[in-house]
Amino acid sequence: MKDKSIRWGLPILLVLIAMPAVIHDAFFLRVITEAIMWIGLALAFDVLAGYTGYLNFGHGAFFGLGAYTTAILMMQAHWPFALALPMGGVLAGVGAFVAGLPTLRLKGAYFAIATWALSRAVQQLALIMDITGGPDGMRLPSFLNPQFFYYLMLAIVSVTFALLWFLLERSPFGLKLKAIREDDQGAMALGLNPTKLKMQAFILSAVPTGILGGVYAYWITFIDPASTLGDLVSDQALVMVVFGGMGTLIGPVIGALLIFAFKTLFWAYLSDFQLLYLIILGAVIALSVVFIPNGLWGTLRGLRFQKKDDEKKDEGLAAKLPQSEGD
Amino acid sequence: MELLPQALMDGILLGGIYITIAIAFSLTYGVMHIIDFAVGEWIMFGAFAGYYLNKWTGLDPFLLLPVVFIIFALIGYLVQPVIHRVLSGNKGNPLLMGLVFTFGLGIMFQGIALTVFGFYSNSTPSMFSEGSFFFEKFGFSLTISSIRLAGLIYALAITAALHYLLKKTNFGLGVRALALNRDSAGLMGVNGKQTGSLVYGLYVGVSAMTGVLIGCILSVSAQMGPEYTIFAFFVVVLAGMGYLAGVPWAALLLGMVQSIFLIYFNPGHTLLAVFAILYIILLISPRGLFGRGV
Repeated sequence: MKDKSIRWGLPILLVLIAMPAVIHDAFFLRVITEAIMWIGLALAFDVLAGYTGYLNFGHGAFFGLGAYTTAILMMQAHWPFALALPMGGVLAGVGAFVAGLPTLRLKGAYFAIATWALSRAVQQLALIMDITGGPDGMRLPSFLNPQFFYYLMLAIVSVTFALLWFLLERSPFGLKLKAIREDDQGAMALGLNPTKLKMQAFILSAVPTGILGGVYAYWITFIDPASTLGDLVSDQALVMVVFGGMGTLIGPVIGALLIFAFKTLFWAYLSDFQLLYLIILGAVIALSVVFIPNGLWGTLRGLRFQKKDDEKKDEGLAAKLPQSEGD
Repeated sequence: MELLPQALMDGILLGGIYITIAIAFSLTYGVMHIIDFAVGEWIMFGAFAGYYLNKWTGLDPFLLLPVVFIIFALIGYLVQPVIHRVLSGNKGNPLLMGLVFTFGLGIMFQGIALTVFGFYSNSTPSMFSEGSFFFEKFGFSLTISSIRLAGLIYALAITAALHYLLKKTNFGLGVRALALNRDSAGLMGVNGKQTGSLVYGLYVGVSAMTGVLIGCILSVSAQMGPEYTIFAFFVVVLAGMGYLAGVPWAALLLGMVQSIFLIYFNPGHTLLAVFAILYIILLISPRGLFGRGV
């Protein structure tokens, strides 16, 4: 299995590294950079939603927390970007700890709506504080180097992916989270500490989100409560994960690519109908839940496994037909 | 200090309305075990229904309440089987999927409302809109606007009706049994699917009716939904999830917070205060003010 994942991962990474050498169109590179960012956001969302079974509707708040921390440190305290960016991640992690403290002990529904309320509260806070520039937002010094941001985004997202792959798919941590998702009480009976593990998963989800927010702020050079703290970040991450497939690492990547491609085309050709985008987003979420609850990737994989299982069953039946009549 | 009695009075009058939303919301949670993220959007649609029906027919919003209730109860009754299907699915995590589904519905409704109604903010006129009662005693003056008083009377009537329905009828017995234990209730002959649809219809209808009143007392806009979703959640958490007797007190507290912020502080900070209280309650007593929730 491990060989297989490297066999797939390495060529894709090489292609992505070589990409800017081939593509000289700045617009296209920008689109790819943002697509990579969304992959990172969807992956981080899935840690909590897919693996742990807790919906974080305040994902956008942690993104915004990272963006604002980086921006404020750079503009008010004159920190260099290289120092301000990790602080964005650290603050998002601290935010996750504070927000998780009362809510992670409770059922998933409490957590979902409490994080949603949190994101609204953070939005309000950013609107009324002086240090964030209120509704006018903040401007950052522009650093016009598309390739720098492309590689930075790629590095952060690939490290996140590798880390999550190792932690969730190749180490006991992922199994522990899944145990909590399936049965909280059962996991506790087996000697796990659900609250602690959930907290770790929450922080693991928030830190990359905050760092990506920091990069986004420096890249776009302008942040305001509506664009970085608005619900659109959470909504899009949710639709990517649900549509792609919860509880896997490949699913969110596929979901992020498809939804982001759709979004880019939509905004390019139908930007007069921005509100329609909200309706489509909601409809995709609702329809995915009803018709493909395992997401695209989960459904496809399910089909493949089912086929394999059927073949196995046929072989098995043919081999030991006399004994296994009782089954 | 002179304004304090006024703030408290306004809080009581406003909080009364939230009782109706929170009871219906709490009932749905009890029966279906999911939180409906679209609650604020139902309120918003109800408010718009009241606004436009009033514009077209010229009838008073209070007379339109039964019409709005019937329309929305029917919509809720027809929507619920989809939610039921999601919740009873064997793939993935049904409860999580139920949350995601209502969240998706909420986003969709908001998009539709913004497309159809635009970004304007309106208010529904009513025959009670103008009048008010004025008291002056012991150096304090108190104004009670008649529309808010009418709202409170409506809320009390709805609460009494829901109480009767829950405690005195067979239907209510079934609902309470379902909330207690789904499987056992099914074995005792309670039709979970049918009751779920009825409760959801009831909840959507009551939310929409309350929306009409909110449209009269405060305002109608396509973006009002999420705020009321958070308010409904706030009341239900403070009361303790599933503990109906706590709902009125929590709703009154919310009304007080809102009116005190309106008079003494910046109304834009209300949401922050609501969140701060919510956070502290969840931290200290996650089962509500009375510790009686589930």
